[in-house]
Amino acid sequence: MSGKEIDRRSFLKVMGWSGAGAATLSGCDLPTTVTIEEGKETVVSYLMPEEYVIPGQGVWYASTCQQCSAACGVHGRVREGRLLKVEGNPSSPIGRGKLCNMGQASLQAHYNPDRLKKPLLRKGAELQEATWEEALKYIEERAGKKSGVQGNRAAWLTGNVSGHQAVLLQAHMDSFGSISHYVHELINTAVSGLANKDVLGEVQPVYHLDKAKAVLSLGADFLGASTSPVHFATQYASFREAPRGVLIQVEPSMSLTGANADLWIPARPGTEGVLAMGIANALIGQHGVSAANLPAGVKQAIDGYGIDRAADITGVPRTQIEAIAKTLKERAPSLVLTGASAEGHAHGYNIAAAALMLNVLLGNVGQTITSSGDPAFPQLAARAGNTRDLFAFAEGADKGAFDVVFMWGTNPVYTAPAFLNFEDKLSKVPVKVAFAMYRDETVAKADVVLPLSSPYESWGTHLAAYNSDEPTVAVQQPLMQPIYPDTKSVGDVLLALLKMREPNTYSAFNDYYAYLRKAFSELPATHKVGGSDDAMWVQSLQRALLAAKGTPKELSAKPVAVDFPAYEKDAAYPMHLAPAARLGMWDGRNANLPWLQEQPDQISKVVWGSWAELHPKTADRLGVKNGDYISVTSAQGSIEVPVYVYRGVHPDVVAVPIGQGHTDYGRYATGRGVNPLKVLSQVTDGKTGELALYATRVKVAKVEKKKPGINELMVRFGGSESQVGRKLVASVTADSFNRTEGA
Amino acid sequence: MSLQNILNNWDKYRKGHEAGGHHVYEHMWSMVIDLNKCIGCGACSVACYAENNLAVVGKDRFEKGQAMHWLRIERYWDEPNLKPTASDEFQQHGASFLPMMCQQCNAATCEPVCPVAATYHTPDGLNAQVYNRCIGSRYCSNNCPYRLRYFNFYSFYETSWPEPLNLQLNPDLSVRDKGVMEKCTFCVQRIRTAKDTARREGRKVRDGDVQTACQQSCPTTAIVFGDMLDPESRVTKLWKAHEVELGKTAQHKQHPEKRGYRIFEGLNTDPCVMYLERVREV
Repeated sequence: MSGKEIDRRSFLKVMGWSGAGAATLSGCDLPTTVTIEEGKETVVSYLMPEEYVIPGQGVWYASTCQQCSAACGVHGRVREGRLLKVEGNPSSPIGRGKLCNMGQASLQAHYNPDRLKKPLLRKGAELQEATWEEALKYIEERAGKKSGVQGNRAAWLTGNVSGHQAVLLQAHMDSFGSISHYVHELINTAVSGLANKDVLGEVQPVYHLDKAKAVLSLGADFLGASTSPVHFATQYASFREAPRGVLIQVEPSMSLTGANADLWIPARPGTEGVLAMGIANALIGQHGVSAANLPAGVKQAIDGYGIDRAADITGVPRTQIEAIAKTLKERAPSLVLTGASAEGHAHGYNIAAAALMLNVLLGNVGQTITSSGDPAFPQLAARAGNTRDLFAFAEGADKGAFDVVFMWGTNPVYTAPAFLNFEDKLSKVPVKVAFAMYRDETVAKADVVLPLSSPYESWGTHLAAYNSDEPTVAVQQPLMQPIYPDTKSVGDVLLALLKMREPNTYSAFNDYYAYLRKAFSELPATHKVGGSDDAMWVQSLQRALLAAKGTPKELSAKPVAVDFPAYEKDAAYPMHLAPAARLGMWDGRNANLPWLQEQPDQISKVVWGSWAELHPKTADRLGVKNGDYISVTSAQGSIEVPVYVYRGVHPDVVAVPIGQGHTDYGRYATGRGVNPLKVLSQVTDGKTGELALYATRVKVAKVEKKKPGINELMVRFGGSESQVGRKLVASVTADSFNRTEGA
Repeated sequence: MSLQNILNNWDKYRKGHEAGGHHVYEHMWSMVIDLNKCIGCGACSVACYAENNLAVVGKDRFEKGQAMHWLRIERYWDEPNLKPTASDEFQQHGASFLPMMCQQCNAATCEPVCPVAATYHTPDGLNAQVYNRCIGSRYCSNNCPYRLRYFNFYSFYETSWPEPLNLQLNPDLSVRDKGVMEKCTFCVQRIRTAKDTARREGRKVRDGDVQTACQQSCPTTAIVFGDMLDPESRVTKLWKAHEVELGKTAQHKQHPEKRGYRIFEGLNTDPCVMYLERVREV
């Protein structure tokens, strides 16, 4: 370290390990071997290859997938300097060697033809190419040490961020004295997180699907758009082995998880909590489950929802409520989960709390739900996003509270509902800095754009938003040289910004690699592996992970008393809008990946566009069939979209999956389909203030389209929806399966 | 295998398995797909695009049925043994997913109709497609009861991989040009590599040496791949356990509850892919 001496405690903070127990300062020699990673590069003909390069033979290196916040470990196959394929890293306790479709398609994010190659600076209405010096100078003048920007007037608007990038980001904010970090993720667990905290004492406990014998999912699409889709899918595989677990799914429109359920039930949207109360009632009344561990208020609330009343409110027949209760009782331990479609209401918190009450009643806490413990490295922990933060940011921006905003990893101009007027409010921030791999709707509004290297060209560390019971720091190492030499990794950009603010502390680090390498040297002794410093570093890179076991804790089990508003009909807007998220398009960020555009949607089998799902009854009433257009109109606006008719949607619901409808997101996404987020009503969860994604009421009408062009055509894979009696997918009963394969 | 060899031994290559087969097989690559575990997510399909240089054809060509998805996930809303469903108000048993790739039939209907022997049976038990020999008659595709062969109606390489997407192309196999038929190869390039490695190390190919791209990615491990001639391989054991045998048009099981079945085996195609039935609560 050069420059001003800093004390050891602050030094550990700089390195991201503060709060991680006793640490010893060790020697800080850099490794003596010269590698590409240290920035020394020589052009050598392949006639004389490096020792580890065999022409024609792929070598696999470990890194971390960045398509969502699950942080699955990957192995990337590199041949002649090119990354060719990514596969799951079997050492990763998250993905366990597997990847989802988005992880596979991360290659196309890396090699995307619409990537930004140069920094951009706003000149009038246009963003024009500039050099890094110009771009950084622009930022330094407006947000450097001499700019006078102080405190919360410097804001950050990002997606989920964790690991050492979060440490540097925090340091950058600290340099202003700012706490204005707004983390926006559309697909989030903000509502259930608070309910978990209140009932279990922990925001994100660990779920054990593999240990459950029955799962009741109130809209939790854990196999699809969830916090850790691959991890839950690997658990699901054990859940389905003999003796086979039962999955019951309650949701307004069918998700990927619902498509795999043994019983799929569409409750009236927003009444999932009442259903939970009805089930509790049946458990206590019919199955003698003791309510002794429930507080009096909770017991009283349950008594208020008799089975018949619950059936009446939810529209789920009494027999089904009783059957669910019976299944949950007989197949212990069970697990009750909630997801976006249940939590996305004005009383979403109450629904999540009611589900947790069921877990307590059934004795699942400590069995299928356990504590994730206190994190080993609190500084590195994921800053999990939500939409509430976006509201707060928009309000601040509107009031002129910010001089500068740094945006990264989120595309709020696309995801923000129209009622927020986000574009207008964002434009009131005088200096908008964006770091991005591609031009998107938000980047297009920025004043200066710094082009990022892809995750597979960058160093980094990540902590998953959802940790399994083996929490790890996932290490991300470059798998190849940057395709575009004028791009920088996120870490390097953060470091460059920090050098403007805190040159004494950070000028010693040439690049982000040097910072990370140093950080690993300073790892607290409690977490070191592999003997020497170099050995530990090499092992961390080979496995691309570092165990980060925290301090174990016990969960509490204190259900909170909740009540539910009466279900109200809306004469002007009689239908509910379900803006479902899918494994693939996710929150719209993957719409620029051609493999995922061309992959048929798991449920509707639509490709390259949007669609609306309607129940046959509703479609009959409107007089529409597959491919016909309807308008979906809320108080906030209207979208026109072709319909797909099937029986996996509640008759009062129109489901329009999110992800399409981009206006400025490269050649594959722009001008394709519609964005249902734009017509969302201004409803938030009463307790958390989180956007109520599923609370929009709409009306639906047939729209005549004469001679639709290819852009308007709804293109689907496959003809017949029926097997027409042939034995394509056959099935046996669970009894027979458990008998023949149970041993 | 040269063309001359094929011409000289035409009869031999055209003999079906009921006449004792036409090869001394070195391997018999086979797949088992457990529909109880498959969730229909499509990770396998995208992995296949990445591994096998599959072209993205775009919306208009997809609409014409020209997509090149070697591995596709079919989704049905009914099942023959789940009755009745038409009168139910809701899709209460979810969906029925079916990953479909070339079934690598041992009595393949695509093979005998090829006028130039561009598709033939390898000593590995695969239906090989020789791109250089293919003249694009599309007879094979017409004759495939599974509709698992895909024809290059265009030079997709001109539009599918704009720079730098082309850098991702797998150099272990070719990019196909207009006028050529293609299909799932069971990741023959991976089989090739595993066989070469085994030979170099002076040993036989071990079970697990070859992982197809779809199998590798599957988050629920629903796909098992291996050599049926290896008595210790997982696939051999699974076929045995589920009482399904190659070379039959109907299985006579001692325990009819065993889940293994082959699609359309009654057509005497003798597919090398065995599916395990879904499991349903009733």
